[in-house]
Amino acid sequence: MNIFLRELKANFKSLIIWSVIVILLIFMAVTKFSAFASDPETAKMLDSMPQPLLKALNMHAFNLTTVEGFYGIMFIYFALMAAIAAAMWGSDMISKEERDKTVEFSLVLPVSRSRVITAKALAALVNCVAFVLITWGVSLVAVQSYNPGKTFYDFLTLEMLSMFLLELIFLALGLLLGCAMKQYKLAGSTAVGIILVTYFMSIISSMQENLDFLKYFTPFKYYDAGELFRKNSLDGGFLLLTAVIILVCLAGSYWIYNKRDLYI
Amino acid sequence: MNKHIFRHEFLTRLKSVAIWSFSLTLLIAFFFALFPVFADQAALMNEFLSRYPKELRIAFGLDRMDLSTVLGFFSFLFLFVQLCVAIQAGNYGFGLVSIEESELTADFLLSKPVSRSQVMTSKLLAAFASLTVTAGVVWLVTFVSIALFRGEREYDLGTLVMLLFSVTLFQLFFMSVGLCISLLVKRVRSVTPYSLGLGFGCYVMSAFSGIFGQVALELITPFKHFDPAYIIEHNAYDLPLVLLNLGITLAALGVSYWRYIRRDIPAVS
Repeated sequence: MNIFLRELKANFKSLIIWSVIVILLIFMAVTKFSAFASDPETAKMLDSMPQPLLKALNMHAFNLTTVEGFYGIMFIYFALMAAIAAAMWGSDMISKEERDKTVEFSLVLPVSRSRVITAKALAALVNCVAFVLITWGVSLVAVQSYNPGKTFYDFLTLEMLSMFLLELIFLALGLLLGCAMKQYKLAGSTAVGIILVTYFMSIISSMQENLDFLKYFTPFKYYDAGELFRKNSLDGGFLLLTAVIILVCLAGSYWIYNKRDLYI
Repeated sequence: MNKHIFRHEFLTRLKSVAIWSFSLTLLIAFFFALFPVFADQAALMNEFLSRYPKELRIAFGLDRMDLSTVLGFFSFLFLFVQLCVAIQAGNYGFGLVSIEESELTADFLLSKPVSRSQVMTSKLLAAFASLTVTAGVVWLVTFVSIALFRGEREYDLGTLVMLLFSVTLFQLFFMSVGLCISLLVKRVRSVTPYSLGLGFGCYVMSAFSGIFGQVALELITPFKHFDPAYIIEHNAYDLPLVLLNLGITLAALGVSYWRYIRRDIPAVS
């Protein structure tokens, strides 16, 4: 419990910074959106555009003149930020002890290593939940002036749920890297590398039909805003895949950290 | 400039340079391998596109989506190259002098008979040399992949060289701004979150101004200072923005020297 509280406090500043960024992003975007809102001209033009083009831009699912469509375009930015934040929290919480040379101290306390990880992971989880809730809350406030209907609320719920699941994936991955990397310095950079690679993969796989199989390797595609909007539900197969990834990463973290030689 | 510091700095970065160069090679080569298929489809798409009003195309960033030409396609993947390069340069900039403090080696270094400005200059030059190696790899890979995959399509060499040269200026920007920020804050515990924030922040801002048309954001983000679409369209840099970029780089370097020479560096207790 003490470790949990200590970590929450230590990461509070980082949470604030991330939240400020996301709030700025939302407000900036909504201000820009006012130019498109219910402008029949834009809608007509979008309707007359060729299908393959809209598909390449991932705009086939969205009507930019409605709040739903607009939030569909925004989703990838939320997803990217959530992924980076979660991966950083996960890997940093474990590896910072070695970096700041405090690992001796925390491991001579009468708690097992597993409990240390559990406390830290829970603290990171609380941060992730808070981040999603803040994004959610601010979004609701920001779009009020456009009188969004039920479709929007449903879609937003779905988006935020996906954002949370993405966070969980990258949080588990970050934890695993933090626990497993022998060189504490590499944990953060490897996490970043993985995020970049998967982000690029998600872009490529939507551009090219025969690279569609790549979607299984990139979490950003598990929760593709276009698909979410069309189906109005999360894909069961990908949910299962998410659960498997998270469990494997968590199990790996505990297993490796418990028998690891720590750098003092 | 002190050659021992330079050599040490350069050698410790060698592995990181190798990893970044390798990833960039993969990125460029992989994207270009898709080019032949794409170019055929894109020609059709362009035909459709030309029927739509110009304002609309600009608002949605379609004016830069001419994927049927070598340079049009390259400008598309160049954005990702820029993103990677930004993060790498940011990493080196943020870690340049802050790493001595976080790894408690600052007293060792500063007790040597070299002035702080000498330390800084040597480190800067070493980091710049590492970045130049990466930029060189980008040049090489780009030329090789274009030669392999372009087929019969022509492209303008001058414009390509201009695009590739912007990588160096881009690196300098992120390195010096990173360095400057690292000296303005009290302590940099870990480099990655900072450089990621800077790199992705600028990327998202430029993507944003792409979606929503003309915004003043382009003044802040270097992704817009060296907008590949602009360079290709006009066959020239957007001079005021490039000068602004250089100005920011130089100012950041100046502030960094000034801050570092006066900095209170904690000793190991």
